[in-house]
Amino acid sequence: MSGAILQPPSGAGLIAQDATLHGIGRAVAEVPLTHPSNRRWWIAFAGALALLGLFGGVLAYLLFTGVGIWGNNNAVVWALDIASYDWWIGVASGSLLVSAVLLLLGAEWRGAVNRVAETVALLCTCAAGLYPIIHLGRPWFFFWNLPYPNTYALWPQFRSPLLWDAIDIVSYLVVCVSLWYIGLLPDLASLRDRAVEDALAQEKAHGRSRKRALLKARAYGIVASGWRGSAAHWQLWVQAYRTIALLGVLLVVSLQTGASVMLAGSVMPGWHDTILPVTFLVNAVFSGVGVTAAVVVLVRSVYRLDGLISDRHLEILARLMLCLGCASLYCYATEFFSTFLHGDARERGVLVRRMTGEHAWAFWTVVACLLIPAQAFWSARMRRSTLAVAAIGLLVAVGAYADHVMVLVVTLAQDFLPSSRLAYSETIWGVATFAGSVGLFLTLLLLFLRYLPAVSITESRRLALAVTPTAAAAERKPVRESEMRPLAEERDEAQDAPLWGVSAAFASEADLAAAVSALSGLDASHVHLSAHGPVPMPRVVRTLGIAGRSIRAYAILGALAGGAAFYGMCVYATAYDYVFLIGGRPRFSWPSFVVPSLSFAMMSGTIAVHLALLILNRLPRLNHPAFNIPGFLRATDDRYFLSAEARGERFDADRIVRKLAALPAEAGRPLDIRRVPR
Amino acid sequence: MAQLFSPGADAIYRLALLTGVACLAGIPIVAAGIVRSDYVTGVGIAPAQPVPFSHKHHSGELGVDCRYCHTTVETQATAGIPPTHTCMTCHSQIWTGSDMLKPVRDSFARDEPLQWVRLNKLPSYVYYNHSVHVTKGIGCSTCHGDVTSMQMTYRANAFEMQFCLDCHRDPAKYVRPQDQVWNMTWKPPANQATLGPELVAKNHIQGGERLTECAICHR
Repeated sequence: MSGAILQPPSGAGLIAQDATLHGIGRAVAEVPLTHPSNRRWWIAFAGALALLGLFGGVLAYLLFTGVGIWGNNNAVVWALDIASYDWWIGVASGSLLVSAVLLLLGAEWRGAVNRVAETVALLCTCAAGLYPIIHLGRPWFFFWNLPYPNTYALWPQFRSPLLWDAIDIVSYLVVCVSLWYIGLLPDLASLRDRAVEDALAQEKAHGRSRKRALLKARAYGIVASGWRGSAAHWQLWVQAYRTIALLGVLLVVSLQTGASVMLAGSVMPGWHDTILPVTFLVNAVFSGVGVTAAVVVLVRSVYRLDGLISDRHLEILARLMLCLGCASLYCYATEFFSTFLHGDARERGVLVRRMTGEHAWAFWTVVACLLIPAQAFWSARMRRSTLAVAAIGLLVAVGAYADHVMVLVVTLAQDFLPSSRLAYSETIWGVATFAGSVGLFLTLLLLFLRYLPAVSITESRRLALAVTPTAAAAERKPVRESEMRPLAEERDEAQDAPLWGVSAAFASEADLAAAVSALSGLDASHVHLSAHGPVPMPRVVRTLGIAGRSIRAYAILGALAGGAAFYGMCVYATAYDYVFLIGGRPRFSWPSFVVPSLSFAMMSGTIAVHLALLILNRLPRLNHPAFNIPGFLRATDDRYFLSAEARGERFDADRIVRKLAALPAEAGRPLDIRRVPR
Repeated sequence: MAQLFSPGADAIYRLALLTGVACLAGIPIVAAGIVRSDYVTGVGIAPAQPVPFSHKHHSGELGVDCRYCHTTVETQATAGIPPTHTCMTCHSQIWTGSDMLKPVRDSFARDEPLQWVRLNKLPSYVYYNHSVHVTKGIGCSTCHGDVTSMQMTYRANAFEMQFCLDCHRDPAKYVRPQDQVWNMTWKPPANQATLGPELVAKNHIQGGERLTECAICHR
């Protein structure tokens, strides 16, 4: 991945030149609030539900009959079940890695892609997480794989990759959910406020009951946990998002390389090339980008979000696929050359069987779908073709699936002992199970597209502020009269109501920062300043004097404590409490405890960061006096607010109002100054 | 904008979140408690039997030896449930008209066994042999409790795997001299720490690793 791909020059073409903060919020919120293309959505949803129903049926038959319906046998113990699991978790890892790496590198344009990528990661993990459970003979005992207080006086075998897998997938799910939710948090607040605006507009236009619209706003309000977009919120939000992305990257690398080491732990030929961990990782990222690209194209064409997901974004995705395609090609070529030049006879046999054996279709699908199509992106015309990006993205996903089938089945079908060889062929049930899991993915994806913002509002606004002139120069009109109407019927902030503080509205972060510094001389013991806005506000954070706050210590302490505790548990269980000789391994098999401890450390670090984000920001807080500020709905839209909260008897509202009103017109004078009742 | 939520909503929301977290942590703890409870394991619960047979009366007060009824305990995997004939050796002579013993006489007359309610059960995938335990110095009461004090017989221990492993991992804690095996009130003597390993060696008990192999019990 070269710098040129990640940092396109000057952001040209990444977002419409006339984009405004308000316009971006409206364009994205339109989809969850008004459901355009409703009929097409329902048709697609019916299809997805049909597949989900198929999944239910297959699972019922599976539970009734057993895993034999997949055609797995004593030689080919892993077939479509594990291939599907590996594929789902590969796509999940890939899309999470892309989103996290873009975030960590500070690629401003990622807003169009990262929400879809994080959602794909989360939903694929849901589909992947089911496979390890349903492929157990008795799935209802899946918890036997976890260390829980049992009456057998036994521990799980911490030296076993099967346990690593269980811990990995649980950790991965937690990290995925956390990253996804944190990214979503300010956008949910935005949706909440747009829903309230819609409710007010509806009432004004028709004078009819706004109950339903308000219910929608409340639903978004609850999941948004009372996000107010205060400068302090944003400060920790940026830190938390980046920290969890970093933990996610480490987890993905551990997970994908771990999957190939699991295979290398056996004696079977074809699973031991030292490049395999890299191949697994590259193919996972490749398939993740492929699926993400296809979903991004879908979102863009169905909901006409061309302004936010531009041709330039698709071109970047195409270039990314080209890079990964070349990397994948390199990995395959290396495996071929090293095996044919100096591999042993068994390894060579496996390669030949891959190309000519019973499952040769899998190999040639890999060639036709995974290795060749992405090379089309050398052509600029193909990179700009929406259809090509989506189609090749899907082909890559198909190719990656064939790769997993090929790697597992060809090796397992031919044991060293001829007497232990058993032929395997895919059964209709194995295919149906996979199709059903696709149904689960699609159902959840469609629900996501219908009810949640498919493009990150926050990230798009940050990009707009950075690259387009119109967004930075927002309209300087005072707060709209209509929004000053209180939601509750008893209108008018009665003059005798106790005063909470003074608020002022601004059109830009620069004005807000100037006003904050003008008020910064006030004694903190009787007035508390805070700022609210639709995007992170680093300048205001500096002027407020809270720039030193950091939650990285929580991440490090959480990860260290969690990892050390898990490692300690492994050592205690394996070396002292449950000494069990297995395969001649020593009591203190320290290397085998590293993988699950690492995953657990990432999970506990994530939980610590997530809790720190909420608790240090005093969230969830659904009812807060700041919401009483007139026009505060626009704090998640295109306005910046300063609030000076009374903290004692000596609070002098008039002095603050005078000070704010005296600021020069182009350097901090508020558009509007209000007294806010408690 | 006015408030979308009332001030009380915060308390409810936070309470709901905390309840969720508490459930996440609490449900496994409660479940672990329930599976260990007497309600599930049946420990200490004496079910109704076809005849209210009292081990306390027969074995404790009259001094009938365990092996008088459970005849195969020293030679076979199962200790044996006595046939009606064993009861009738005495009860053809004493309490012959007792109403309480009518099911025994009926069983004898019809040549049909009494249907006792079984107390001590092991799953079918567990191999267990009484003879090796009693001949190597594990007494009845270690597993079955002080049967001679039970008016109606109940299960003294839940035969969960951790119960078996407790002894299999360190048999020296429980092994007795051969003359104490039938002593229902045996408690480890003060010198068990030295006596135990001696008995383990004398009886050729291969403790620790050998006895904790899966296939010792799961054959």
